[in-house]
Amino acid sequence: MAEEPVRILVSDGAAIADPKDKRIITAWSISITAALLALIGLCVFLPDPFWDLLQFISDGILVTFQVTILSITISIVIGMFTGLGRLSQNRGINLLASTYVEIIRGIPLLVQLFFIYYGMGKFLGVGGIPAAVIAMSFCYGAYMGEVFRAGISAVPKGQTEAARSLGFSDKQTMWMVVMPQAWRTILPPIGNEFIAMLKDTSLVSILAVSDILRRGSEYAGVHFNYFETYALVALVYLIITLLLSKAVSLMEIRLNYYDR
Amino acid sequence: MTVNSQPIISIRNVYKFFGSLSALNDVSLDIFPGEKVVIIGPSGSGKSTLLRSINRLESVDLGAILVDGVDISTPATDINLVRQELGMVFQNFNLFPHKTVLENLTMAPIKLRGMSKSAAQALAIDLLKKVDISDKAASYPNMLSGGQQQRVAIARALAMTPKIMLFDEPTSALDPEMIGEVLDVMVNLAREGMTMACVTHEMGFAREVADRIIFMDKGEILEVGSPDHFFDNPRHPRLQKFMQQIL
Repeated sequence: MAEEPVRILVSDGAAIADPKDKRIITAWSISITAALLALIGLCVFLPDPFWDLLQFISDGILVTFQVTILSITISIVIGMFTGLGRLSQNRGINLLASTYVEIIRGIPLLVQLFFIYYGMGKFLGVGGIPAAVIAMSFCYGAYMGEVFRAGISAVPKGQTEAARSLGFSDKQTMWMVVMPQAWRTILPPIGNEFIAMLKDTSLVSILAVSDILRRGSEYAGVHFNYFETYALVALVYLIITLLLSKAVSLMEIRLNYYDR
Repeated sequence: MTVNSQPIISIRNVYKFFGSLSALNDVSLDIFPGEKVVIIGPSGSGKSTLLRSINRLESVDLGAILVDGVDISTPATDINLVRQELGMVFQNFNLFPHKTVLENLTMAPIKLRGMSKSAAQALAIDLLKKVDISDKAASYPNMLSGGQQQRVAIARALAMTPKIMLFDEPTSALDPEMIGEVLDVMVNLAREGMTMACVTHEMGFAREVADRIIFMDKGEILEVGSPDHFFDNPRHPRLQKFMQQIL
């Protein structure tokens, strides 16, 4: 028998729990319980420094979410057009979209951040948060483009033919028939990218953006308690990503509404 | 129905090539208003390609196809307008899974004909009654059996009040016990005077409704005749062999 080559699919998002897994003890439930117990325990029994620290970094949580939500929104728009461009019959558009993806994927995000903030700083003259949002949006837009491309390609050709045979135009077919179905395949990976991006925003602390990590560093710089600080920062990130991964997994169930 | 000598579909010396293979080889065929034409032939004979070229789901390389006097092969023709007059039913139903049965029927009349939502829904309910599936209006297609889905697909095409219905092997993907319910709908439609072009292997249906049967092989029309002619004295040796195999 011919051996199928094994394809290893690894995403840098958090592990998304299998929505069909109904068991109570899972890697997710163990992790979230342990993380929450640790956080509450530390804050209650060792309020100095942990409770103090948590309060200090809380506005950093907001900044992290702000950067992530802004960037993911823009990157979805970029990704949609990139994906459509990659599927376009028009050679010029196709090349433009493919070249963008090729270039962005070849440059580390940290380098892109430095380039936009420090390198382009004198031309753009934007602050830390806008620079972070621009860099993250373009970087993730390229990955989103691949997600959109795969999602759109996964919609059976018969759907397009049925819509066109009724008299719908190319555009109407895309927006009314293909895209709504593609969303179902696209949304879970987007959720995944959101989680990956939330973690990657820790890189923007270098651009003087007061996110979770930056706030933690500021605190530790004053109180010299690096171990406690970064342990708490890690816990906060862990809890956020675990909750988000659960949300993505629940979303996957809801998206299957029209299956029997 | 008015007697009309003008063909509603006129296929004139059409060629289509897939690489070096010629899928359609100098095919000419006229279909007249009210006529029922059944196209048969072995797989790969070009019968589906011919049917799909009538609404330009397949483009032809040479020759012309006129729908209601309009040459659909020229770029100047707005193919979307032509398609609104041509209903098409596919082998795999191709209902829109993210829309309910009712929405599948109302979508095109609302968006393309500018019909009001309530008028479109009334029309849709009528058509669903006609194909005997009005109780499933609120269901999603994936909750229906294959036969039910295909009946909805026929109703969806009828919702645009097309001048002609194209059927591309409408029963080939169905379990045997569901073929009858779909054919019944098609027979009723034929009796109402709908112009129909149908690619199928259902010879019973062909015998019952066809005005003309077209036999295709290797991209060519080899024989055209009435059902009686096809069943009683097929002339072409390839057709004789084909009839023996499928009957």
